[in-house]
Amino acid sequence: MKNVVLLTIDCLRKDVLGCYGSREGVAPFIDSIAERSVKFTKAQTVAPYTQASFPGILTSSYYFDHAKEEKRTESLSLKRTLISEVLKRAGIVTAAFHSNPYLGEYFGWSRGWNKFYDSMEEEVSPISPFIKGDAINKMVDRWLSSHVSSNDYRPFFLWTHYMDVHEPYIPEKEHLDVVDPSIGLGKDEMLALFEEVVLKRDVSNAETVNLLRKLYLACVREVDDHTRMFFDILKKHTVLDESVVMITSDHGDEFGEHGGLSHNGKMYAELIDSPLLIYNYSSGESQVCDTLVSGLDISPTIVHLFGLDPVENFQGQSLLPLEDYPQKGCYGEAIGKLGHRVKDTDRPVYFYRENDLKIIYRVEDDSWEMYDLQSDPKEQNNLFDTSPMAEEMKSKLRPRINREQK
Amino acid sequence: MPKIELDEKRVEELKQKIEKSKEIFKMAYDRFDPEEMRLIWSGGKDSTLTLWICRQFCQENDLPLPKAFTIDEGDAFEEIEEFLETYSNEWGVELDWGRNEDVLKAAGYELGADVVVADLNERNQAEIERIGFDLERFPFEAESYVGNHLMKTVVFNTYLEDSNVKVVFQGIRWDEQEARAEDEYCEEVEAEEFVPAHTRYRPILHFTERDIWDTTLYFDIPYCPLYEEGYRSLGAKSTSRKLTDIPAWEQDLENTVERAGRRQDKEKTMARLRMLGYM
Repeated sequence: MKNVVLLTIDCLRKDVLGCYGSREGVAPFIDSIAERSVKFTKAQTVAPYTQASFPGILTSSYYFDHAKEEKRTESLSLKRTLISEVLKRAGIVTAAFHSNPYLGEYFGWSRGWNKFYDSMEEEVSPISPFIKGDAINKMVDRWLSSHVSSNDYRPFFLWTHYMDVHEPYIPEKEHLDVVDPSIGLGKDEMLALFEEVVLKRDVSNAETVNLLRKLYLACVREVDDHTRMFFDILKKHTVLDESVVMITSDHGDEFGEHGGLSHNGKMYAELIDSPLLIYNYSSGESQVCDTLVSGLDISPTIVHLFGLDPVENFQGQSLLPLEDYPQKGCYGEAIGKLGHRVKDTDRPVYFYRENDLKIIYRVEDDSWEMYDLQSDPKEQNNLFDTSPMAEEMKSKLRPRINREQK
Repeated sequence: MPKIELDEKRVEELKQKIEKSKEIFKMAYDRFDPEEMRLIWSGGKDSTLTLWICRQFCQENDLPLPKAFTIDEGDAFEEIEEFLETYSNEWGVELDWGRNEDVLKAAGYELGADVVVADLNERNQAEIERIGFDLERFPFEAESYVGNHLMKTVVFNTYLEDSNVKVVFQGIRWDEQEARAEDEYCEEVEAEEFVPAHTRYRPILHFTERDIWDTTLYFDIPYCPLYEEGYRSLGAKSTSRKLTDIPAWEQDLENTVERAGRRQDKEKTMARLRMLGYM
């Protein structure tokens, strides 16, 4: 039985990777991994920000299934089953290493892990408000050293999450130089851009938005290095060949495509389209899968890879074997907040995608949008009022909007 | 010989802080019968100092010591239990232990075990409902949301009610965490469902963590040996961690967080989120 490694990268847009058509070349290592992976070209995350999307990835459930209870208790609902709980019960060793406070022990994400590191004991600063990927890697390295040599060696599930692409977008100079050596900004100046422009969602100056995008790309470059180091660590401990590695993101990031910055309650491609690679599955040869798949499918896939029975509480389907995966539409839901602050008056936003059609409903202004992603991948041309498909798509999304929130 | 050397000025400062604390005890003794008082004694450094000052105050004024009360969450360090037993005997303190036996039993006295809500008594079920928890079962952990409520808050409130307690002395301090900064020496708690009316006195609010250690070491006040091993703050056994092996008082008290070794607290999480642009 192989180990399973899940590497998630916060805020990583699919379209900045060469393996998904970018020419910017900021992620050569991830691109090289994609060449030996099953590459999903139409993976959809279930929500555009961490609190709403990670329940999809690690518990195969939708945010509104229990969001009201979770808001009250400030803790992941016990009604959700974490993949770690399933695996630990089955005797698989589970380990998590990350630095996203929304996924920390405080919010109840530490259930079911033999080893859980959320970095909350460390000191951080506004310039680097999380533990960077290289430090996360060192934790992984140390953990593998002790686990691999342990007398109690059993197959493991390792989840690692990098925050490095997440704002405030303050990359190291060496990575910024790869993207654009002419940007001579100091870290304080980058922090000022974050505070003055990103936090205010100010897209009035196209040049500034483009500059932010370059800083973001430099952060992707940084995360690509961390990923390379991560694979080297797996290799060093001789577990890489014995592991299936899944790489994905919880959501993307916006740079003015729909009038905003960063990520919040919007359902457009720059936030919802996610990269998804499965490395070292079966023969390890490359395959491309153009089927529409959801973040909800990740945990069921892990269960399948460990040869366990499907989990009743999981709403997704195993992506593997590919030929058994059913054609289906994908849903997503979140609070339609604009800006990072959720207000009590904020209302939900939903999407449903089927093949290349995507419909979005925003409760706040009772607005519908529909896009044909084949002809309009950037979702600029709203077809809702003109498309003959609108009513049918609407009727498919309707039941989710009407369901009771808990 | 004191365990640390302090200059005269510092010793005088500490003595004044102790006198200030005695004034708080006096306020309580002027208003209430000692029979109605309890001193909350966890066995940690703060409540132990509170008790030490209380004893001194009582001896000086020929007053009876209040009873002490400690909560056993079912997840306690043996070292703390031992410490409490030793010094309650040595100091002649009557110590009551509070436990939520009903929950412990339902969990089979095993941490992490599933507790089925329907197996609990009426009071515990009502308390679970009161905090808006609507699940059929939960894992038994002292410092989880439900666990903390059932194992500490409920035990505390039930005890007040059953023993007709009107006054509690708490060893909390202003510098412990941001949330404590507004606390007052005396607070009247009004009665509500499940919570009997009582008055809280906080005699050592003005002590800093450094003051606690200087006082403890200088006056040779006993402390739980876990502090010597590096624990800086003691909570439930399974969630307390030490970040270093050097004794608590030799750590950088001024520039690091006292509760860093405890379960992740809200403030820290929220501060991180703010830095990331949220909240």
